[in-house]
Amino acid sequence: MQVVMRQMQTDWFGPLAVTVLAVAIIGTAAPPFLSTLNVQVLLFALATNTLIAFSQMIIIAVGQMNLSVGAIGGLSAIAFAGMMQVWGLPAPFAAVLALGIGIAAGALNGIFIARTGISAFVITLASLSVFKGINSGITRAQPFYGIPETVKAFGNNVMIGPLPWLILPTVLVILGLWFLLNRMPLGRAILAVGGNTHAAELSGISVSFTVVAAHAISGCLAALAGIMLVARLQIGQPSIGDDWLILSFAAPVIGGAVLSGGHVSVAATVLGVAIVAIITQALVLFHIDPYLVQVVLGAMILWAVGVNRWRELRIAKSAKRI
Amino acid sequence: MQGRGTSTTRVEPDEVLVRASPTGSAGGLRFYLTNEFGLLVLILLFGAVFAVLSGGFLSTFNQFTLWRTAAVNTVIGFAMMTVIVTGGLNLAVGAIGVCAAMMCGWMIQALGVPGPVGIVGALALGATLGFVNGWVVVKSGLHSFIITLATMSIFFGVMVYLTHGESFRNLPPSFAEFGRTRYFGVVSPMLIVALVAGLLLIGLYRFTALGREMLSAGAKPEAAELSGVRVGRVFILCHMLSGLLAGVAALLLVMRNGAAIPSMAGQLGQDWLLPAFLGPVLGGTLLSGGRVSVVGTFLGSALVTMLTSGLLLLRIGEFWVQACLGLVLLLAVLIDVARKRYLAHRRMV
Repeated sequence: MQVVMRQMQTDWFGPLAVTVLAVAIIGTAAPPFLSTLNVQVLLFALATNTLIAFSQMIIIAVGQMNLSVGAIGGLSAIAFAGMMQVWGLPAPFAAVLALGIGIAAGALNGIFIARTGISAFVITLASLSVFKGINSGITRAQPFYGIPETVKAFGNNVMIGPLPWLILPTVLVILGLWFLLNRMPLGRAILAVGGNTHAAELSGISVSFTVVAAHAISGCLAALAGIMLVARLQIGQPSIGDDWLILSFAAPVIGGAVLSGGHVSVAATVLGVAIVAIITQALVLFHIDPYLVQVVLGAMILWAVGVNRWRELRIAKSAKRI
Repeated sequence: MQGRGTSTTRVEPDEVLVRASPTGSAGGLRFYLTNEFGLLVLILLFGAVFAVLSGGFLSTFNQFTLWRTAAVNTVIGFAMMTVIVTGGLNLAVGAIGVCAAMMCGWMIQALGVPGPVGIVGALALGATLGFVNGWVVVKSGLHSFIITLATMSIFFGVMVYLTHGESFRNLPPSFAEFGRTRYFGVVSPMLIVALVAGLLLIGLYRFTALGREMLSAGAKPEAAELSGVRVGRVFILCHMLSGLLAGVAALLLVMRNGAAIPSMAGQLGQDWLLPAFLGPVLGGTLLSGGRVSVVGTFLGSALVTMLTSGLLLLRIGEFWVQACLGLVLLLAVLIDVARKRYLAHRRMV
């Protein structure tokens, strides 16, 4: 009994319960929901959206926010597509360079924030429009169409059953990020800085290095998501990343991330992405107006922050009683 | 989150020093280091540069459209400024604005009410949505960033669902007329609306008890609460004012376009975010709350509009203008940090 109770207090329990419940209810009401094709569509959405959520989660972990995830992702995406079409670079080489652009863009954010002490909100708002401006300056709002067949195949073929190839990098990132945040000094430093910057500094952690590293990781993840979307969409669309902002906050918050920093959960964030994907999919299945997806996303953020707040207050109260 | 944490503790000591320092020998110098003076110099400087480089810049028509756009950007900046006072943000300004504009269009076109009633309806909706934001922020005790991020998505989604993304184009001719009118060849009535809104805000923050309460509640909520300010109620009023001003800005845009268009602020109203922050931040409004500069916001918005207009005239390419505006914001905050450090340093010596 006590084991069950303890499990119920973890971050991932609530989202997991909601996921299982949603799958059960929607699966009963609309059996096509559990068809191979539909599961495959869900996994495709999960593959890219998880990376988008992670690129925000790592910044939430360090106690900041990054408005420019979408702009970095979009810039890397069109850089990836553009380098293959215009310069004729082989796909892996272009992907590495695009990832490099993402890391550099993220690191620039981090350097500005760490060196000047200006709030991350303002810096990333400014860099959002710089990166987005460079994107539209290069593309003039025209997509790149010259994507090699191998890249298209990687983005749209399946390995076994409903499992797409695209899920492979995502699984590796999930494992890597879990290892980073739970087992590596850098990950622990990121959480420590997010939890209490002052205490982290006093215990010998270099706060500015940690902030820059977190932003570089965020940029790298956003770039990877952008590259994978190019493979999935089969064109280098300049509008990639424009609609990432709400989603990138929704999933970590549903996963119980504390917005003031220091507390995130990789597994719960993945479940948060899954919940968003399942509900979006359900709206389509039940022929509900797709515009309402925005409303549902917003309502889910409100609901999740409400639940998190309630949990915080309850934990604080029980701590007082002891 | 950020505003409450590190930046408050870091910025405030400097800020207190600046405000508390007596107007002694450094007094004259301090005036030249204010944001407002700097902005004025930059406006004149860039105005001169653009006038030399591009013949069309000083033409009456260009000046008319420039200041008309500046009027809209200023009111958008005011809408954000009234919430920044509380130490929070309102990401939903664009979404609220579009909702208000569509409300006006719907009331006039579908209900057949006269124009002024439609305007009142739009402003009432703006204030109501602002109230929703404020109420949720105060009751939940969460940072306004995440709340307004969520409501931005909700408001915009409901708006698109109800309107099916269709514009309202059958507005009274007086609306488009208002957008086209030119006094003395250059002055748009929209600029007058923005200036009146600015004067009212100055009056509010300078001379009314409510305005002073907003500033004190924003600077130090706990201290304000102890001295009898009902902080929650004041914060809700700040959000309502923000919603109202977002409605005003959206109505100005409706009059300029001659139609209420759902996409006039981009996806989820995100296109308003940059002008909304550029004005107040350039103008010296503290993001951690408690200090505003109405004149600075106006000058900041005017400078940004002038840069946009001038860069377009110089054929930089409209796609690069956004990148330039981002760099301006970055540069402005960096200069601001340098200025504060300089002032703090002088005070210490």
